[in-house]
Amino acid sequence: MLEIKSGTAGGTSPAGVKPLFDVGNISKRFGGIHAVRSVSFEVVEGTVFAIIGPNGAGKSTLLNLLSGNYQVDSGSLTFDGVNLAGKPAYERARLGIARTFQKIRLFKQLTVLENVVAGFHIHRRIPVLEYIWPLQAAEADRCRWREEALELLTFVGLKDRADVVAGSLAYGQQRLLEIARALATRPRLFMLDEPAAGLNNAEADFLLERLDMLRKRRMTVVLVEHNMELVMNVADRIYVLEAGQQLFVGSPAEVQNDPAVIAAYLGEELH
Amino acid sequence: MVDPMTLSNTRSARGTSRWLGLLTCVAVIVVLPLIFRDAYWRGIITICAINILLAIGLDFIFGFAGQLSLGHSAFAGIGAYTSTVLVTALGANFWVALVCGVVCAGLAGVLLSAFAVRLKGHYLAIASLGFAVITYQILVNWISVTQGPLGIYGIPPPPSISIPGLQTINFSNHQAFFYLVSAFALLTYVLLRNLTRSPIGDALTAVREDEISAASLGIKGTKWKMMAFGIGCAIAGLAGCFYASFIGTLVPDAFFITESFMILAMVVIGGRGNLWGAVLGAVLLTVVPELLRGIGDFRLVAYGLALTLVALFLPGGLSGVLIQSARRFNGSVTRAKSETHA
Repeated sequence: MLEIKSGTAGGTSPAGVKPLFDVGNISKRFGGIHAVRSVSFEVVEGTVFAIIGPNGAGKSTLLNLLSGNYQVDSGSLTFDGVNLAGKPAYERARLGIARTFQKIRLFKQLTVLENVVAGFHIHRRIPVLEYIWPLQAAEADRCRWREEALELLTFVGLKDRADVVAGSLAYGQQRLLEIARALATRPRLFMLDEPAAGLNNAEADFLLERLDMLRKRRMTVVLVEHNMELVMNVADRIYVLEAGQQLFVGSPAEVQNDPAVIAAYLGEELH
Repeated sequence: MVDPMTLSNTRSARGTSRWLGLLTCVAVIVVLPLIFRDAYWRGIITICAINILLAIGLDFIFGFAGQLSLGHSAFAGIGAYTSTVLVTALGANFWVALVCGVVCAGLAGVLLSAFAVRLKGHYLAIASLGFAVITYQILVNWISVTQGPLGIYGIPPPPSISIPGLQTINFSNHQAFFYLVSAFALLTYVLLRNLTRSPIGDALTAVREDEISAASLGIKGTKWKMMAFGIGCAIAGLAGCFYASFIGTLVPDAFFITESFMILAMVVIGGRGNLWGAVLGAVLLTVVPELLRGIGDFRLVAYGLALTLVALFLPGGLSGVLIQSARRFNGSVTRAKSETHA
């Protein structure tokens, strides 16, 4: 098991480092419910930024605002200098923002391999005529992305299930497949919505190990998660959300020692 | 990883079986009118080829892009009336009129989907049904152009084609007309099948399976749904052009909404999402009713019953059943092989 990192790594973003993702004062209302209120944070390239909070704190809503599944009512979203305001989800994906879903949304009737290949969509280019009359380029394209898909499936440990229908996978495997499919878009920012939900301990350990590999490859990650062990082990910075607003932000060590956070959320869980 | 030799072997094997399949289709097309020599059955096999065009067009929209359209006959009507009016009233060349008919039907499909892409399932079905009703009403009431319910008569067949060195092909001959429509149906089928196996096909199935997931992968659902409607409806327009020219008369009732249901029944009974299922359904629902002519309007009851039974017991349609049994067969063969090896 990995050691819990000390607070020095991500207590505050180092001055002068330009963040990859800049969230400024975003808010979202659903009718009378103020789901997200003036949330601001920065995600530095190559770090893991975790968002935690009790049930109903607005974590998933926040993630949907970041991915473009919802649009913000106010506030600014900047990804690598590009203003994301008003941009729908598919455009954000094309800019390099990938995500997984809390409630798994695989293409259930397609095979495991086809799910991952669908993730390569924005990178596939063949001559126009070969869409209706496939020649070498189309065949090469098919083989190439098949190989790349198998590589990603190897990464999440699903290579030998490549030709199974995705809907028939076990729950934990479905979560891993969603990760592989999202990685197929070759994201610069990878957002995971409760990836460990419903996983058993062995599966959660495997997930932790894979997330750590991504972190070592300098992937920028936004992680919404309930599993504290996972968050404390993998996150560089933790944002604690309560009732749609910031309760605390800091390194794992700082979060664990903050009395307000302990009182509101962590309780005795970590001690 | 994968042995390059096996890869190229399977590739050439796939290529060979593809050409074999194509040759079989050509052989069947050539032989059919030689088996069916009377005008009545030659008419039925021609209508069958037209219905195949309609069914694969709808399967592209419904089976691949997942958009339930109940207005497919309207697009055939738009294609048929556009080309016929151009030929009969303006004296246009058949082939020019055909292109216009196809383009108009395709554009109408794009137009409908531009309004309807935000709708899903039942709502889209109702919108498309509404479109079909409106189109029918226009065909009935725009008498100065369509002649209304009286219909347009004396539509000429496509002009003869003379190829130097061969005898002139005259399309008032049912056999020649059948070959013409079948050639178009086969070509359309092959191009459409290639398209569904291309990256575009992957995008369409992704949108069908889960539009929100697809968007998270950078796939713009509305764009692909509009494309599917445009192509599927253009093919319906093509079928409509041939229909008018083949029958020689054109009345709005040929494109009434019950026809849309019949095309849908072909796709559902044949099994959606693999094109050849739609072909199977089109053949069955064209030929079987002819054999059951005695029961008259009970045909519609039979369609309804067949649709209900398929929806309840065979969600994959007939092609789904065939694919499953082929898989089971292959499985048992592989098992038997591995047992002999052991």
